[in-house]
Amino acid sequence: MRNLFLFLFRFRGALVFSLLEIVSIYLFVTNNSYQRAAFFNSANAYAGVVLARRTQISDYFHLADLNQQLATENAHLRQQLYLPDTTRRAADSVAIPPDPTDSLRRVRYQQPAARPDTLLLGLQRLAAHDPSYPLIPARVINSALYNVDNYITLNVGRANGVQPGLGVVGAGGVVGRVKVVSEHYATVYSLLHSQTRIASKIKRDGTFGTIRWLGDDPTHALLDNVLRETKLVKGDTIVTSGYNAVFPEGIFIGTIDSFVKEPDKNFWTIRVKLGVNFSNLTYVYVVTSRGRAERDTLEVHTGIQPKGGEHP
Amino acid sequence: MSGLRFILVQVLRFALYAGVHVLLISRLVLFDLGWCFFYLGFLLFLPISTPIVLQLLLSFAMGLTMDIFYDTGGLHAAAAVLLGFLRPWVLRLLTPRDGYDSADTVNVHQMGWQWFTVYLSLLVLLHHAAFFLLELGSFMHFGITLGKMLVSALFTGLALLIVQLLFFPVRRGRN
Repeated sequence: MRNLFLFLFRFRGALVFSLLEIVSIYLFVTNNSYQRAAFFNSANAYAGVVLARRTQISDYFHLADLNQQLATENAHLRQQLYLPDTTRRAADSVAIPPDPTDSLRRVRYQQPAARPDTLLLGLQRLAAHDPSYPLIPARVINSALYNVDNYITLNVGRANGVQPGLGVVGAGGVVGRVKVVSEHYATVYSLLHSQTRIASKIKRDGTFGTIRWLGDDPTHALLDNVLRETKLVKGDTIVTSGYNAVFPEGIFIGTIDSFVKEPDKNFWTIRVKLGVNFSNLTYVYVVTSRGRAERDTLEVHTGIQPKGGEHP
Repeated sequence: MSGLRFILVQVLRFALYAGVHVLLISRLVLFDLGWCFFYLGFLLFLPISTPIVLQLLLSFAMGLTMDIFYDTGGLHAAAAVLLGFLRPWVLRLLTPRDGYDSADTVNVHQMGWQWFTVYLSLLVLLHHAAFFLLELGSFMHFGITLGKMLVSALFTGLALLIVQLLFFPVRRGRN
């Protein structure tokens, strides 16, 4: 027994080293799964407060940039107020047939339903208040760009209605998907993450594909699973397909930058220039979806989606 | 009493290195390739006679703190623990001819430029190699990773050298 203790004591360095190393690598490897204690990431309350304070301070030094970004977005939004000529020609009231009891047979008029408030996000009008994809505005308080797996931390959490798995969009297009939420903070799988897959399509002809990031260039991603028979045009718009209920259909992702046919593959290798500039991402919107829970449950029951093992 | 003072000083150093790293340095990126792993200063400049177990635990704590802020799970912790394990080996490798003095610390003024340069560059390079290869999980973009390693090592090394020159005492026996 004494010899055993002596032995353990003699190799205590190596033993503690291997123990800690195993713990770290376990934490690192399981980092991508959803079911995990929410403490060891920047969504936990203490780290969130530190990051939020840091953002407050550095915001002060970036006021000019922030103003510029907001002004640009305001300009886009204002643009929607000045509608093209043709829209004003639509009737502001609609004629409906006379009341059968009305002896004078007077034509009645009815106001069409008021247009819901909308935001133009990446070429797509998204309703800001009501319908099936309400938006939650959020501020980016921490983001990374040049790692192999990049994450973003937002200043909204469960208290604001954010849940794991929801989509995140910015003025320029798709940003990522929520990973973990705490009461007031949320961490997001950025589009620039090796595990991110986004169901997308080419807007011109509706060909489906998958967007994923190769891990080298934060301004470009790869559009995968497009058959070699498909005709492609440089500059084609890539939008979300709306197939996985995370993003509504038609949110801008990017434009085709270049494409090559590789001899050993069935699919085109398409480089897509991303619409979002991840280096100065500040304000984003979390997309919630009313029908999502029901749809997910149905798809899990049918066996289309594996339970819990949901990846972005 | 000196034990308590030692613990207090180390806790302060931990908070200082971690705080400066998270609040200031983590935002700096050089040519999209180089990061400054400023927090390594805490581990590299620990007293030479620190027991190995304590050193490993401190490395793990510092690494995990960084992981929480970077959302990397255990990546920083794994690389930092490796650094903590390798440090005694490198110190033994670089032992002066007549052994370490009890007053010796990791200090560029006391140990000399040559000793310090080899010590810093060897450990920082090993740490960065472990860190970036682990992060990648494969040898796919090996060129970029190699670039990241070298530029980051240069950046970290220079930053820590500046810390040494500015904040460490020139005369020995007073630290």
